[in-house]
Amino acid sequence: MIEFQDLHSDLFLLDDPLDKYEWIMEYGAVAKTVPPPVQLLPKNLVEGCTSNLWLEQRTNKYYCYADSLIVQGIASMICDYYNQASVEKRREFSLSTLTAIGLAPLLSMGRQNGVANLIKKIKSYE
Amino acid sequence: MRDNFPFFAANHTTIYLDSAATSQTLNSVVDDTRDFLIHRRANAHRSGHSMGTWINNEYHRAKEYIGAWLNIDQPEKRIIFNSGTTQGLHDAAMMIQQIMSPGGVVFIGRDSHHSLILPFTQSGNAKWRIVYIDLDSAGRIDLTDLQQKIAIQPLGLPKVIAVTAVSNVLGVVNDIKGINKIAHDVGAVSILDASQIIGKGSIDISGWDFVAWSWHKLYGPMGLGCLVIDPVWLNFDPTRPGGGSVTHVGLDSAVYLTDASRFESGTQNLAGIAALPNLVSWLSQHQTAIEFHDVAMAQLAYGCVNKNKFVPVSEPDSGLISLKPRVGAAEDYAMFLDARNVMVRTGKLCAEPLVTALGTDGLIRISWAAYTTAAEIEQTFNHLEDIYDRISRLAQ
Repeated sequence: MIEFQDLHSDLFLLDDPLDKYEWIMEYGAVAKTVPPPVQLLPKNLVEGCTSNLWLEQRTNKYYCYADSLIVQGIASMICDYYNQASVEKRREFSLSTLTAIGLAPLLSMGRQNGVANLIKKIKSYE
Repeated sequence: MRDNFPFFAANHTTIYLDSAATSQTLNSVVDDTRDFLIHRRANAHRSGHSMGTWINNEYHRAKEYIGAWLNIDQPEKRIIFNSGTTQGLHDAAMMIQQIMSPGGVVFIGRDSHHSLILPFTQSGNAKWRIVYIDLDSAGRIDLTDLQQKIAIQPLGLPKVIAVTAVSNVLGVVNDIKGINKIAHDVGAVSILDASQIIGKGSIDISGWDFVAWSWHKLYGPMGLGCLVIDPVWLNFDPTRPGGGSVTHVGLDSAVYLTDASRFESGTQNLAGIAALPNLVSWLSQHQTAIEFHDVAMAQLAYGCVNKNKFVPVSEPDSGLISLKPRVGAAEDYAMFLDARNVMVRTGKLCAEPLVTALGTDGLIRISWAAYTTAAEIEQTFNHLEDIYDRISRLAQ
């Protein structure tokens, strides 16, 4: 089963934070489909994000939509990981996983809270 | 002036433009705080030894300096030290709650920070209703709207008028003299959130029942604020009774101090208070220069905005500019700027009702202070344009 950093290995080849942000935004731009893959309803909102993020689960798959391209990128990376991970890997995944693979410095405090809440919301469906 | 701020000597490449949230620290504040913590750490109002006496004297001296600087008579009776504006405004609301009879109305400006809104909306007090005061086309509190909304209330209702002097989103300076006159004319209790104006612009705070601000926005210590009260409020019970606020405690009774200390229970941020006399002297000495600098930076910043890419929602009245990007979310700009070592604030700016009313989920706020250079402003706007272009390409 593929790990988070293997799924997004291109990101971890980059050194410059600007390049990393641009990579994440590109990921977000590709994932940000029109129309949104989720219903933009209050029940789907992820609390605590510095910009709006919606999450929906359908047939055991996760879909997200964000106002911000960076938030869209990070959330899509996490959803894509969950959508291919085993039950065990899904259970193991947490904010600490992102910290352990060096992604945390890219997340501001506010975004760390948002990502933690995204993972929490995903886990509430598990 | 930049040499007075050790942060920049230690961080040559950082562009700090989040001063409306928290300013960098003046060197005398660093030195005085350090001196207190290393050589003089003791508590005030309790211990009779020489160290206790020293900080006791500094505590009183700080209030005298603030009183002289801001024209506050009887500073011992009127200046309450607390943890900051949030606590000051909360305490003001709790004091008012003691006298408010049912059916009272609290008029709050629509440009208010959460700290001014929440003590009234979330206090669980069924005694008062909230009425929001609209803003005029320039973003200032509309005095005509306030007068009209007061006029339609039933006669004899207790009233509170709670406003901010300068909006932390719009940057506009409200007509606080006019608002205070209306409050006096209708017998309303008046509250002023002065956190974005004290130390940054000339202000007359006389005539207000409550005026609150924080020192961390004006080059001072964090976790320290002031609430200036009209002496009449000394007749009311402390909102947070406890040690240091009393002259006598029985098993079921207490006699409270008769000056502002009755509202200062517990141990104060004395390391911060010890730094205030020198900070206030510096602010007093440089007030005019700071005001001129803020205006110059405002002219420069507003001149740098490419309005095809960013819409300014603020006015060049004070030390900030708030921008709505035409492409992308404010959050994305903040992250890119951070990667360039430029610190700005984005989001709802702790004024969600106002930011939502402006038709956006988030703004980019650039706020400067006495230490900001023209080159930093120009460089930041160059970065913003570059980020806009990157985001535009990705968004296509």
